[in-house]
Formats: sequence, C-alpha cells, structure tokens
Amino acid sequence: MRAKSRWLALLLVLGLVLVACGGDSGTTDTTAATTTTEAPGDTTATTEAPDDDDEEAPMEIATDFGVDLDAGVIRVGMLSDLTGPFGPLVSAIVAGAQAYWDDVNANGGIEGLQVELVVRDTVYVVDNHIQFYNEIKDDVVALGHSTGSPHTVALNADLIADGMLAIPLTWYSGWSDSSMNSNLLSHGTPYCIEAMNTIGYLTTEHLDGASTIAIASLPGDYGQDSAAGAKLAAEAAGLEIVYDGEGAIIPTDESAITSVANGIADSGADIAWVATTPGTFSAIFGQALAAGYQGTWSGPSPSYSPAYVAPDSPIKDAIAASFVGGTYTASWVDSPQWHDLILDAGLPVSDYYFEGIIEAKILEAALRQAYANGDMTRQGVLDAAKSLESVTFDGLGPDESYVGADNDRLQRQGYIYVPDPEGLAAGTSGGRVDVASLYTSDLAANYEFTGACYTLAG
Amino acid sequence: MRGRPLLYTSYESDQSMLNTTTKKVVLGAFLAFLVLLPFTGGAASSGDRLFDFSIPFVGFLSSNDYLQLLATVCVFAIGALGLNLLTGVAGQVSLGHSFFMGVGAYTAVWLGAPEGPLLGMGLPIWIWLPAAGIVPAVIGLIVGPTAVRVRGLYLAIVTLGLVFIGEYVFRNWRSLTGGSQAGRSFQELDIRLWKEEVPLIEISQDGPWLSTNGKAFLMMLVVLAIFTVLAKNLQRSRAGRAFQAIRDRDVAAEVMGVNEFRYKLLAFGISSFYAGIAGALLTAFLGRTIPERWDLILAVQFIAIILIGGAGTVSGTLMGAAFVIMLPRVVQNFTEWLKGAIDEGGFISVIADPIVATSANDTGIINTLPGVGPGLSVLQANQVLYGLLIIGFLIFEPLGLYGIWLRIRNYWKGWPFTY
Amino acid sequence: MTDLILIFAQATTRESHLAAAISEGLSLGAIYALLAMGFVIIFKATQVLNFAHGALAALGAFLVASFATLINFPGRFLPETIPHWLRWSLSALCALIAAALVGMLLERIFIRPMVGEELFAVAIVTLGIDIALRNITNDFIGTDPRPLGDPWGTKILDLGWVTFAHTEVAQILVSIVLVSAVALFFRSRTGIAMRATAFDQEAARAQGINVGRIFSISWAIGAVLAAVAGIFVSVFPRRSAGVDTATAFFAFKALPAIILGGLDSVVGAVVGGFGIGLAEAFVGEYVSFSFLGSGFAGIVPYLVMLLVLIVKPYGLFGTEEIRRV
Repeated sequence: MRAKSRWLALLLVLGLVLVACGGDSGTTDTTAATTTTEAPGDTTATTEAPDDDDEEAPMEIATDFGVDLDAGVIRVGMLSDLTGPFGPLVSAIVAGAQAYWDDVNANGGIEGLQVELVVRDTVYVVDNHIQFYNEIKDDVVALGHSTGSPHTVALNADLIADGMLAIPLTWYSGWSDSSMNSNLLSHGTPYCIEAMNTIGYLTTEHLDGASTIAIASLPGDYGQDSAAGAKLAAEAAGLEIVYDGEGAIIPTDESAITSVANGIADSGADIAWVATTPGTFSAIFGQALAAGYQGTWSGPSPSYSPAYVAPDSPIKDAIAASFVGGTYTASWVDSPQWHDLILDAGLPVSDYYFEGIIEAKILEAALRQAYANGDMTRQGVLDAAKSLESVTFDGLGPDESYVGADNDRLQRQGYIYVPDPEGLAAGTSGGRVDVASLYTSDLAANYEFTGACYTLAG
Repeated sequence: MRGRPLLYTSYESDQSMLNTTTKKVVLGAFLAFLVLLPFTGGAASSGDRLFDFSIPFVGFLSSNDYLQLLATVCVFAIGALGLNLLTGVAGQVSLGHSFFMGVGAYTAVWLGAPEGPLLGMGLPIWIWLPAAGIVPAVIGLIVGPTAVRVRGLYLAIVTLGLVFIGEYVFRNWRSLTGGSQAGRSFQELDIRLWKEEVPLIEISQDGPWLSTNGKAFLMMLVVLAIFTVLAKNLQRSRAGRAFQAIRDRDVAAEVMGVNEFRYKLLAFGISSFYAGIAGALLTAFLGRTIPERWDLILAVQFIAIILIGGAGTVSGTLMGAAFVIMLPRVVQNFTEWLKGAIDEGGFISVIADPIVATSANDTGIINTLPGVGPGLSVLQANQVLYGLLIIGFLIFEPLGLYGIWLRIRNYWKGWPFTY
Repeated sequence: MTDLILIFAQATTRESHLAAAISEGLSLGAIYALLAMGFVIIFKATQVLNFAHGALAALGAFLVASFATLINFPGRFLPETIPHWLRWSLSALCALIAAALVGMLLERIFIRPMVGEELFAVAIVTLGIDIALRNITNDFIGTDPRPLGDPWGTKILDLGWVTFAHTEVAQILVSIVLVSAVALFFRSRTGIAMRATAFDQEAARAQGINVGRIFSISWAIGAVLAAVAGIFVSVFPRRSAGVDTATAFFAFKALPAIILGGLDSVVGAVVGGFGIGLAEAFVGEYVSFSFLGSGFAGIVPYLVMLLVLIVKPYGLFGTEEIRRV
C-alpha cells in the first residue's frame, strides 16, 4: 500500500511537469528564428571595413568581453523581470528587442557581426539581479537593459568598475543626472516629467475646471518619483492635493490597497494620479469605483494594462470612460512602419515592443560607433555611446542625445493616450490611442533639472 | 585495534567530531581544495590570481561568478545551521527565520554603514558582526516565551506572523532601511581596527592574489567553519542532548528533569543568533538590501535547505545549502546544455527535444526563449523542481541528502556483500 | 428589490465610515471564513495543515476563467437563449468539479504516502505542493490578469447609508450558504464518519469506515472552498482585472483566522474569519496612514493572533492537546 503510494507520487511528479508544457495557451506567442544560425558572409570580420569609413586598409578591432570576431558574434546582456510584477511589460519589451535584433542580424548585423541576447529573469529581486549580473558580465559587451531602479543602483559600483554600459529599464529621473552614474544611458520621459506632462495635459486640454487631485503611488523610485512630479504639476496647475498616498501602495497587501482606494474615493478628487503595478491598479480602481468615486483616473505607463479593456474585463467600460495616461513611446496605431517587423516575428499586437526596439536602437548606434572607432571593448562601447549626439527612433520616440549638460539632455517630450477597447478587440491597436504625441507641458518645458525629483536613499 | 571500523576504545573517541581517520583525511582534503580554489584560475580570468593553473574538472568553480555563488552557499549554510538547531535538533518548527535574518542585517547596517542621510555609525566589522547576532538573539528571547507556550503547527504559524510583522516594520522604518522597494546599500566586508581610511584587510577590492569574490568566499568559509564547529559542539553537549530529548518527546524530557521552557528559549536564542549573522553577511556581501528581501519565501528556503539536507544533521545542512543555492544554476546550465544538444542533433536531442522549447512553434516543458511563451521559464522550472524536491525528499528519503549519503556509504562498507 | 437602485458605478461617496468598515469587514470576513473553513476541514479529517490552499484558490479561479471565457465550456454547446448568468454558473460548476478533482489527486498522490508521519513533515509537504502548483498555475495564467467573465460585473447595490458591490453581496450570501452546508454535512453519515476519522483514524477504520475515502472527500471539499474564495478574490472590486499571479498569496491572511478560532474548529473558522476581516477593515478605516505607515491594517490579523495565543495557546475554540508521556 505504502510502496504503491510512493510510486504513484513519483508518477504524478512527472505528470505535473508534463502538464506544464501546455501552459499559457492564450497569451503571447514567442519570437521566431534563433540568432546564431547564419554566419556573416565575411568570416574574418577584422578585415571588413565599416561602410562609412574611407580607409581601404583592414582595420584592427580591439575587443575584450562579449565580442567574438572569429565567431562573428556580439553578446548583449538583458536583466529582465519576465515573471515578476512588471512581467507583462518587460516580456513584451524583450520580445520587441529580440525581433529588432533578428531583423538587424538578417540584414548583415553590426558590420557583419550577429547580435545575440543573453536574457536573465530577475523576477524583480535585487539579489537575483546582482547574481545574474555577475554570472553574465564576462560574456557580454553591454547591458541591453537593467530592470528596476534599486536593482540598477545595486550594480552602480560594479558597472563603473567594469566599464559596462547599461540602459536602465526604468524611467527614474535620477538616471538623467550624470553625477549618479555616467554608465547609464537614460532614455524616454522620466516618471517625474511624465507626471508633469500628463497632469498638464489633463488640466489644460482635457478637463474643465479641475481643482483637486488625489495622488497615490508605490514606495520607491518609480512610484515616488512619479508622485513627486505629480505634486509639482499640481502646484503649477493650482490643484489642491486632497489625498496624499505617496508610497502607500503595497502590492502584496490587500488592506493597503483598500485603504488607498477608500482614500481616493473619500477625497472625491477631480483627478486621481496612481503610480503602481498593472495588477494593483485594477484593484484600486475597482474598489474606489465600488466606493463611489467618479473622477478622472490617470497614471504613468506601468499603471495601465490593455488587459483592463480586454473584451471580458468587467471594468472595460469604466476604464475606457475615465482613464488618461502618459507614456514614453509611440502607440501601435501611430507606428504602421513597424507592424511588419513585429507581425513577421509571430508576435501579437501590442504597444510595448517599441520600448525594446528603442533600447536596441540606442545600443545599435553605440555598437556601430564603437566599430567605427575600432574599439569594441566594454569601455570602447561605453565611450562610443557617450559620444552619440543624436539617436533617432524612426517615429517610435523622441530623439535622444548623450552629449551635453544634464538639463539640456533631459527628455521632456512624451505621449498622452486614452484606452481603446474597440481597437483591442478588433486587433487593430494595442489597447491605446494617443491624444497627444511628443507633448510637453509648460511646467516640463521650463523645469530646471538639477537632480532626481525623488532622492533614492543610500 | 587500529583500522577497525566502529570500534572505539574511549567515550571521547566515540564522541569526537571526526571519529575516523577517513573522515579526517577527506575533510582535510576538501577544505584544502576550497581554500586553494580562489587562488587558482589566473589564466582563465583576468588576472588577480596567485596561480595560473586551474584545478582539473572543477576549475570552472574558480571563476568570479561561481565564487560569488559559493560564498552565498556559505552564508546560507550559516543561517541554515541555526534553523537546524531549532527545527532539526530541538524540533521547534519555525517559519520566522527570515525575520531574524532581517533584524541581524539591519543591526549590521545601522552600526556598520557610514554616517549619512540614513542611520549609520560607520563602526568596524568586529563590532557590527557580533552585534548582528546578539540583537536578534535578544529579540528571539523576548518573543520566545510566547512561542514556547504554543507548540507544533501553532508555532509554525506564529513564527510566520513574525515575518509579516517584521516586513511591515522594515518597510516603514525608512531612516534605517531606505524604505520599501528602494532599500539601501551596505558593502562593508573590509576589516578595520577602527574608522581608519585604509583597512587592515581589504575585501572590496581585487588584490594581487585574489579577486574580490575570492576574498569574500574565503572570509565566509572561515566564518562558516567557526559556526559549524560551534553547532557540532553544541549538539553533543548537555544542551544539545536536552534539545533532542524535547524534540523526541517533550513531556518525557520534562519528567527526566529537562527544563523545557529554558531549553526551548535557548534554542530560539541560538538559532536567531545564527540567523542574524547570516542576514548581516548576506547584505554586506551582496551590497544592497530592500525590506522585501526578508520575506516568507526566504524562510521557506531555509526549511527546504534543512529538509533536503537532512534535518538534525550538521553535514546534511551544509549539503542542503549547497544544493538549494546551486540548483537554479544547475537547472539553467542543464537547459543550455540540452539546447546545445538539440542544435547538434544525435541521441541526446531525441530526449532533450520534448523538455526544451527552442523556437516559437516548438513545445517543451522548459521554454528558453526570451519573453513569455508556452512552457515554464527556466526560473519557473527551477521553482517547480524545488517544490517537487521538497515533496520527494519528505516522502522517499526523510533523512535527505544525508540519508542518501549514509546509504551509499553503507553499501560500500560491506561491498561486495550487500549486508 | 424595486426600492433598491441598481446603477452602474453611481453610488454616492461613502458617507459613513462605520457602515463602510462593516461592509468591507463582512466582505473580507466572508473570504477569510471560506478559506479558513477549507483549512479546518482538511485539518480535521487528515491532520494536515494545508499550505497549498492559496495555490488551490488561484488554480480554482483560473479554472473558472478558463471554463467561462477561454474555452467557453459548456456554454458553447448550449443554445443562445440561455442567459449569461446561467451559462457562467454552469462553467463555474465545471471548474469547481475540476478543482475538487485536483484536490483529491493531490491528496491521493502526495499526502496519502505521508499518513502516520509527523504533522510538521506533512505540513512541509504541502509547502512543496504550494511552490510547485503555484508556479505551474502562474505559468498558465501568464503575465496579464485573466478576467473571470462573471455576471455581476461592476454593479453596485446602494442601500443609502452603505453601498455593496453585487459581488460582495454574492460572496456574503455564498459563504453563509456554504458554511451552513458544511455544518449540515457534519451531521450526515459521511460527516459523522469524517468526525470519527478526525478523532482516531485507526479506530474509525476498525469500525468499517473507509478512511481513504474520507481523506479524498475532505480534500475535495477543501479545494472547492478554496476555489470559491479564489473566485471572489479575483472579481470586481477586489481584483477587478481577474486572477493574476499574486492571487495565491491571499490565502496566507486566513492563517491567523484559523489559529484564532482553533485549528480544528469549524465554528472557530467562521468566527475567526469574520473577526479578523472586521478587525482589519476597522483598522484600515480608522487608523491613518500618516501615523503608522503603510500597511498597518495588513498585519492586524497577525497581531490579533499573537495576542489571543498568549492567552489561549489553542485558539478560542480549538481542542486542547492532552499530552501524555
């Protein structure tokens, strides 16, 4: 009897594992085509001169980590949150980056070198982030992205010591402050500026006579940077802050979510600015709605998820009627030139790939510049990146510059959008349509940037 | 008389820590290997090593990456030794180990971190490390009486409550912890006499013979060795025997004159001391911590370590720590290897194909593609395996890795006879 | 019903904190009570503290989402004229049956071999089940939340002095019905057999009770109760967008409820569940964020639990263990 039970247990263990392979039936399909199958036409990459170079003589390329000229491969690391709280966003971002690099590779790569991504899932845990960085750092020439601010800050000293370039996948305003860590290539509107833009748009173009605002956010860099921007914007627009829940949202704690929702409902504010994860936003939204809140909802990009306006979602109509959001990339609807790339890779319609493509384009520019300089060491790629005067994104986002003073480089342009349930259901949009592109509010345009809006402690 | 197994001529030799010559030799060789490891592999990595050669077969362990992992193993082993004393030896189930680790970590941060906007006193390691053990031990003794009153599963849930209450305090005590999801940095393994500029022994910089991670690994190894000897010693002392008596039958133990209340409290205190040291070292070594680190998942990880290793045994606990910490890397490397095997084709690819999905229209239990698709991600696969291993060990081998080791040893002891 | 105004999200701002706290407390308490009942039934019959309860709740909610929206079963075989609520109820019923089967399978395969082992060891087995089952379920759920397609939607019931979402009314009613059903069940033949098994497994077996069947039934009931709780956690207003990867963690909040009531007391589970729910809601309503920091209400259940245990180590209604040498 007992022995039989034990064997049954063993069988089920196997069974459970087998069952898992059918998982995830309805979601995203994955990227196609592996990157390494096709070797570059010219086997000796060292002798191939870059296109924009006049010299005919073969060029020596210096390399140290992550670039293998003989194999014709450049390896780029990605520290991503694929299954944690920001999983929905980041996995699409990684898929977008992969699709873009596949396209680059198919068209000759970086001067004949194929780009390969080394992705690690950190689940948004700092310890994992540090350990995975140590694991992959000697295999990669740069970090294609590093998800999360405390996570990226934890690598600060290592990044500088290793001469490693990293693109932060977080829009903390501190990244635009070069005294914080000059190895980080910030891009897109920081949370703080995004809040200024969105609230500026709401008060000047969307709502008439809004006089009060409720602000709630996650604790930490993302939430509180966004809340700091919202407070500045509220002051500039003459809005009274009737509920201040900066840092009050705890994703794992249901009662904290309830108390924030009640706080917003009790305040009866005209605008509710909520900076949180996709999962908790829907909880706060629903509970405030149930408590009778009727104001306009707004928040930074990670608060919104197209899943809210999916056909079966109970809050579909309520969200569509009351949400206005801010973000940093163009929408699917406004970027038809990119549709083929995404659809050919077998990916479903979504707005989130473009951030991955933007990251990839920044890195591509840096790698091409480094190749032209003849120095593809980690430090060489970093130096090349910091000499880029302008990186353009083919309509996906505002241009970036990595030369000049922080205040001049600060990205002030963003996008304002509203949900689009019809487009999502019809498969013609990723669930959002923009109402303003490359928008800058007066406050954001004149904001004197001297450092992060919210100081990340120690 | 010499060389005969299981023959002891004195109580002392029976109870000695290393009661056979084989044990002494094997342990000595293993320790020598571990100490030598970080000095080797200079040719493979970017210098900073005394020797250029690599140890055959396991030379890859001397890379900075693996040295960091090994150092983490040592830190977790220290924490697990504490939980083993409480749960394995004294039989008191605690799901609150991560709370005490957090208390130790923040004690260390407060005392050891440089003065600045957040709380910090900039004291040297020889002050903050012991304090990181003492403070949790005192807190363990304070909450102990409540814990001693309840028993069994009630105790497990009470200690689980501690984790949630602790997380709340850590999240909100922002001047100390840096706040939720932000945390603070603390990278202070350097050994100083007092607050002088140039440390006595510098851990945080690469040296001529050793890399940073190599130094940290050796340091953790030394601390682990000390705590292992202490734990082993405690287990064969009067207190250790009292713990075991309480575990086996608490009422019977009391009848025999073991003061149940006192020894349970002592077990709590000592286990919290170990936890605090481990928490402090983990933080100082990794360099940054956020309040959410000290959660239930960490506590469960420690339970898993002692169960998989073998509850109640010191060597099992050490094996369990190595196993649980190395498991994610093993799963990952194994997946990559299978992926490579599929590309090459041949016999292995037939087996590997259903396990690993390598392209969009391929199905497999583990999905290696970036982004989300059908199938478990490597990390989820690791988690599922980890859960199943806990179940598997409890059902098939309650003595854990130690039990497996015993069986192997006993098999070869009688070889070629099977009895 | 005519005097009750049913409107889509049109309630007035909450005027009475007391009423709001009571309504929130009742709704939370109903969920805790459902979860606690599941824990207690499994513990009473098999002496297992089931840490996998949260994973079962998330799995149950996901099964409802799958049956109701993804595969539309059995709705796709039914004529168009059948109203949505009936369609959904049938899907939910299928999902609950599937959840019960999973519960029975888990017991048969992982728990049965552990019969007679230490309580603690079996509890840790369920921790292992929790880790494995939660990760597999989360893999199926994917990264985006999955809506359950429930018929209640975002409708609000406005009683003038207090508002309830329709889902909250449903969960309070359902939990009352299920709690009564379980109470009645314990008076049935099988229920008496279960009580006998809980008292002494060997003696029960000697009396001709099929102990293995009792184990299966208790896990099936536990899994269904967990799934029902999972449904109510994953609908408007609590998690409006549907079941997601965080749903499984909700069940930990029911642990203080069962400890408060006593691990083996059905009455205790109900009293503990509603007690903890109301305590949490009142603290959330009346204690300000600026004073105690964020998330204080979240630890109130644990603080209440600790205080009660200092006075009564076996909870309010738990059976005191008689210890012999």
